[in-house]
Amino acid sequence: MTLYVGVALVAAAVLIFIMQPVVKGLHASLEREDDELTETEARKRVALLALRDVEYDFLAGKLDEPDYRSLKSELTAEALAALEADEAARANGSPAEDADVEREIARIREGMRSGVVCIDCGFANEAGSRFCSACGDALAGSVGR
Amino acid sequence: MTLLGEFALWISLPVALWGMALGYAGGRTQRGDLVLSAERSVYAVFGLHVLASAGVMAAFLGDRFEYWYVASYSNRELELFYKITGLWAGQRGSLLFWALILGFFSSIAVFTNRKKNREFMPYVAAVLQTVLAFFVIVLLFADVNPFERLDFTPANGQGLNPQLQNYWMTIHPPTLYLGFTAFTIPFAFAISALLSGRLDARWIQLTRRWILTSWLFLSVGIVFGMRWAYEELGWGGYWFWDPVENASLLPWLTATAFLHSIQIQENRGMLKVWNMSLVLLTFLLTIFATFLTRSGLIESVHSFAQELKIAFIFLGFMASVLGACVVLILYRLPQLRSENQIESFVSRESAFLFNNLILVGAAFSVMFGTMFPLISEGVTGNEISVGPVFFQRVNFPIGLALLALAGIGPVIAWRRATKRNLQKNFATPVIVGLVVAVALWSAGARHALPLVTWGIGAFVLTILATEFWKGTRARARIEGEGYVPALFHLVSRNRRRWGGYIVHVGMVMIFMAFAGAAYNVDERFLIEPGDVVEVSSPMGHTYQLRHDGLSVSLANGQRNLLWQAIVTVSVSRDGEPQGILTTEKRKYTTQDPGGPPMTEVGIKSYPLEDLYLILSELEDLEGAVSANSDAQGLYLQVLIKPLVGWIWFGCLILAVGTIIALWPSADRRRGASEASADATPEPASAVVTD
Repeated sequence: MTLYVGVALVAAAVLIFIMQPVVKGLHASLEREDDELTETEARKRVALLALRDVEYDFLAGKLDEPDYRSLKSELTAEALAALEADEAARANGSPAEDADVEREIARIREGMRSGVVCIDCGFANEAGSRFCSACGDALAGSVGR
Repeated sequence: MTLLGEFALWISLPVALWGMALGYAGGRTQRGDLVLSAERSVYAVFGLHVLASAGVMAAFLGDRFEYWYVASYSNRELELFYKITGLWAGQRGSLLFWALILGFFSSIAVFTNRKKNREFMPYVAAVLQTVLAFFVIVLLFADVNPFERLDFTPANGQGLNPQLQNYWMTIHPPTLYLGFTAFTIPFAFAISALLSGRLDARWIQLTRRWILTSWLFLSVGIVFGMRWAYEELGWGGYWFWDPVENASLLPWLTATAFLHSIQIQENRGMLKVWNMSLVLLTFLLTIFATFLTRSGLIESVHSFAQELKIAFIFLGFMASVLGACVVLILYRLPQLRSENQIESFVSRESAFLFNNLILVGAAFSVMFGTMFPLISEGVTGNEISVGPVFFQRVNFPIGLALLALAGIGPVIAWRRATKRNLQKNFATPVIVGLVVAVALWSAGARHALPLVTWGIGAFVLTILATEFWKGTRARARIEGEGYVPALFHLVSRNRRRWGGYIVHVGMVMIFMAFAGAAYNVDERFLIEPGDVVEVSSPMGHTYQLRHDGLSVSLANGQRNLLWQAIVTVSVSRDGEPQGILTTEKRKYTTQDPGGPPMTEVGIKSYPLEDLYLILSELEDLEGAVSANSDAQGLYLQVLIKPLVGWIWFGCLILAVGTIIALWPSADRRRGASEASADATPEPASAVVTD
């Protein structure tokens, strides 16, 4: 007898516990919270972390100067693109389209291949530039490899 | 209590199915009330399984032999400790225990995400309840119900297999189960990401600590199993490539691959489909491991027929999960395209890729070897199993390549490594590796494979030590700190990276220990009391072992023992007394009366080698057991096992490294809003950019 009372109590407790939200209309949130990272923020964070790693590698003596500069300018460009995308997303109040960020990164990377990102200051110059518009250094096609 | 537990198990099925249905429905319709109900059902199922497990334990403690499971794995004389652990001593209890742990982890996952990551949670709850419902269905309908009653009540149970009455055996299975089940959480998040279309790297970041937790328990669980085999099986080995061991290794291999490949997705936005496939594969392999371990499918094809039902249920479940996931991945394929391409063959990305190919290749070879008996029976009608030789031949080169990558990966540059970068980072370690190999060769180590292993090990350790040294030095210089605080801060600023390196150190030690097995010494002596035998070890020590006497006690059934023969051996090493070691033969009442007695070995561990004594055989068994004082002669087997202790020590280091990587980092605790501000803070960057 006690057994059946026990079983009935357990079953009733479980039933009330799981049915209550449906019957009483208690809702769980299904939205992303404000303080969680958005996709553009996450991207920005990754880009900045990558920059940090390169700094660390250089400082620890694992990368030499030319490698460090070329990697850094590339990463700086990506980080800038990610930052811009994040700001754009904040301004619009909605996350930017994935594709936009990627397109921007691709454009800057492409630019770097043709040697227009300044290896000294990381500024992305227009295609065909011979001197950096930001710091005035010569833009030899020596960036990258 | 036991009956209440049985009812609780039955009640848990509709609850789990309810949660599953509402989770999917709630996710689809975005109705918060349905989702809340689904989430609550996760807690409810866990609570019900706590009741069910308590019921099984109560049956064990109360010697309720009318239950088949209790009668088969316990008896009145069994020690209390083993009655409590009876819950996971056999297949039926293990499955319930599995469901219990899964419910526990699921509840933690739902609870910790009750206020965040909400867009994932409907489907997460649904997937978790699907897996839980599957296990409850197996328990209730596959003839493996732990609450099944016999038609009669036996006077006593059959007792627990004496080999399972060992400390390591009581903690080895639960540890592995923790690892297996914890992996269900990342799987649930992955499926949720696929279902909801939120396919950025977020599901990976959210489950990174679950993945590491699972990996930690899997690694430690596997090593506990090795330790058990080493102490209990009585012939000095720790790994046999038997199906059950392989089953636990498989998900470990793919989980290790996954741990590495997610870093490419996070950093470079590549390999999205691959990561989805790996998480799915690993999850399936954890289910497969349960299935293989607990169905007896491979060990004996004859028991297969008896277990047909459970085999079909498991295979059906695995096939449906696989099918569903493949469809989902194909459906989402356009969103899973890669954001970048590998720029160079010589880069960290490609090192990670090689690591992945090797690990998955190893998993396939182990899988093939394990399933070979079934395959050959299907094709030729004869069951042929492949021996350890197959596994060793295949896995040795794989292991060496993996070992080398453990050193190459951490220092090779992302994107593309230049020649200068390679020279700068690899010249010294390569030289150190070569010097170590040559030094060992001239010291008399002539086996090729161990030499290669130790050479590569030294190469990797040099790289890792240099990493720590360079990092500490740089930090100390910039911050003006002492080296100790600099090292501490260095590690705590980027736990993930440095924790990972520490894990690599542990793995190197374990690999080096494996290679030591080539120098095992194994000798057997017939000795009478007072005899002294001498054995030399490859490390140059000489052990003198004296037979100090054999004592035989008749236990008459206490603690299930019939009799116990203990030989006492005094050990000295290079003339220095080292105390005594004992090794035993034991006969249990629960054993087959005509079968051989069980062996308990004596082990003495030194940093570089273990002395391992086996009472191989009593010269006059009858005489000894009938307390004849002249029958004291015995065969003593003396094993010397170089470097075995490094496996356990390496595992400890590995665990420490994983825990460091797992530990919540400072910025996480301060809240996500500050996370981005925290991304640049390595003080180094400020100095360098100036």
